[in-house]
Amino acid sequence: MSTPAAEIQQVQTIRLSDVCKSYGDYAVLKNIEAEVARGEVVVICGPSGSGKSTLIRTINRLEEINSGSITLDGQNIHAAMRTRELNLLRSRIGFVFQNFNLFPHLSVVENVSMSPIRVKGVAADVAHDKALKLLDRVGLADKARAYPGQLSGGQQQRVAIARALAMEPPVMLFDEPTSALDPEMVGEVLAVMKSLASEGMTMICVTHEMGFARDVADRIWFIDAGQILETAPPEEFFKSPRHPRAQRFLADLRH
Amino acid sequence: MIHDIIAIIQDYWLLLLIGQYPNGPLGGLANTLILSALSIALAFPVSIMLALARLSKWRLLRWPVTALVYITRGVPLLMLILWSYFLVPLWTGADVPSFVTMLTTLVVYQGAFLSEVVRAGIVALGSGQMDAARALGHSSLGAMRFIILPQALYNMIPSIISTFVSTIKDTTLGYVINVPDLTFAASQVNNQLLTQPFQVFFILAVVYYAICWSLTHVANIVERRITRRRAGLSGGAAPVELVPAKIISEQL
Repeated sequence: MSTPAAEIQQVQTIRLSDVCKSYGDYAVLKNIEAEVARGEVVVICGPSGSGKSTLIRTINRLEEINSGSITLDGQNIHAAMRTRELNLLRSRIGFVFQNFNLFPHLSVVENVSMSPIRVKGVAADVAHDKALKLLDRVGLADKARAYPGQLSGGQQQRVAIARALAMEPPVMLFDEPTSALDPEMVGEVLAVMKSLASEGMTMICVTHEMGFARDVADRIWFIDAGQILETAPPEEFFKSPRHPRAQRFLADLRH
Repeated sequence: MIHDIIAIIQDYWLLLLIGQYPNGPLGGLANTLILSALSIALAFPVSIMLALARLSKWRLLRWPVTALVYITRGVPLLMLILWSYFLVPLWTGADVPSFVTMLTTLVVYQGAFLSEVVRAGIVALGSGQMDAARALGHSSLGAMRFIILPQALYNMIPSIISTFVSTIKDTTLGYVINVPDLTFAASQVNNQLLTQPFQVFFILAVVYYAICWSLTHVANIVERRITRRRAGLSGGAAPVELVPAKIISEQL
């Protein structure tokens, strides 16, 4: 690395270079090259089975890759490292799952405050206050003492976002955060994500919500069969996609 | 008949309760309860460690434990008891009290069974919870302790209690290596009376039933309390409706 680390941080947060992943003979990701700048909102879209979820899961190493590298502020996430280091690195990348994955045995406020307490060693009362503030921010202050099983899907997903934010990550990843929701609950989750984006959070979202992509994304990555076929600002992507596969994808969406 | 049983209890209650104590070793019901409690108290943490070892990514940990579990499950308990009773003194030259032999064997045997229950509970949770814990930066042990095990163990309460109950009943096998427990006391009584085996062993059956039923009952209360807490009923803050579980949680 010839450029000083401080300079890199100015320009980029996440960089994927030549990322390949395969299950046996089946290549899921093929030579992915991409960059996400600080404060940028990237939406990954593409047909199902194209490798979108796998791609986003490799960014915090929930999936291993076969070759290439993924760096966060210059630090290679997939380098050989002690698990302690990896855990620290992971705690700096917020992740929101399609199925929320809240901890059902803990109350909402405990869901949000437990990781700062257990992972970062934040004092319990400080973490608790912070959790209440975050819950207020996602509009769920009144549900602090409820358990996940008592909440609607949209509420659970908002708690999941608050839980990820509690670790104060500079980057947030969203893996189809609204796909498991009833249509009337999609809006409340997208609203939280929009407000995050407007506050300058670096975000990568896999989503099928093209309205969200159009309004919020700085760039769209169109991915198919494990390759990023097109990256473009949303207005350009939706108006005049260059790649024929992207044209077909958008045509199918309009039906 | 009932008259006979009452007479036996009146004559032998002390022997059945504490064995020959204080003139001999503590025995009878007291010893059965101690042996059961210790077996359960030790087998439970052992089973969690065995389960974690079987789920470990390190082969050096996984393979020996898997072998231990398979062997232990495939051999009758009585065989294990007799082996440890005869072989351990032979190999080590140490004079191991039969109580200790029985306790160790029970812990290994029930620990192996229980570890499969715990493992099933962990595996049944699915990968989502572990993914979420890892994404938040938890170490695998931390995730196990605070996120996976509290859920897995709660889900497996009925199976865990069944294993506990069978541990209590298995303490009766200590009889064959002269552990002075309730069964041992009862057979002493039977040897003295000679003519009333049904009555004597009927008392034995009732006592074991009472112990095992109490344990199940306490476990049910604990389970219900956790369920209520997780349904938020003791939280008291927000008005919440308790949705009855679609699956049957009641075990009788």
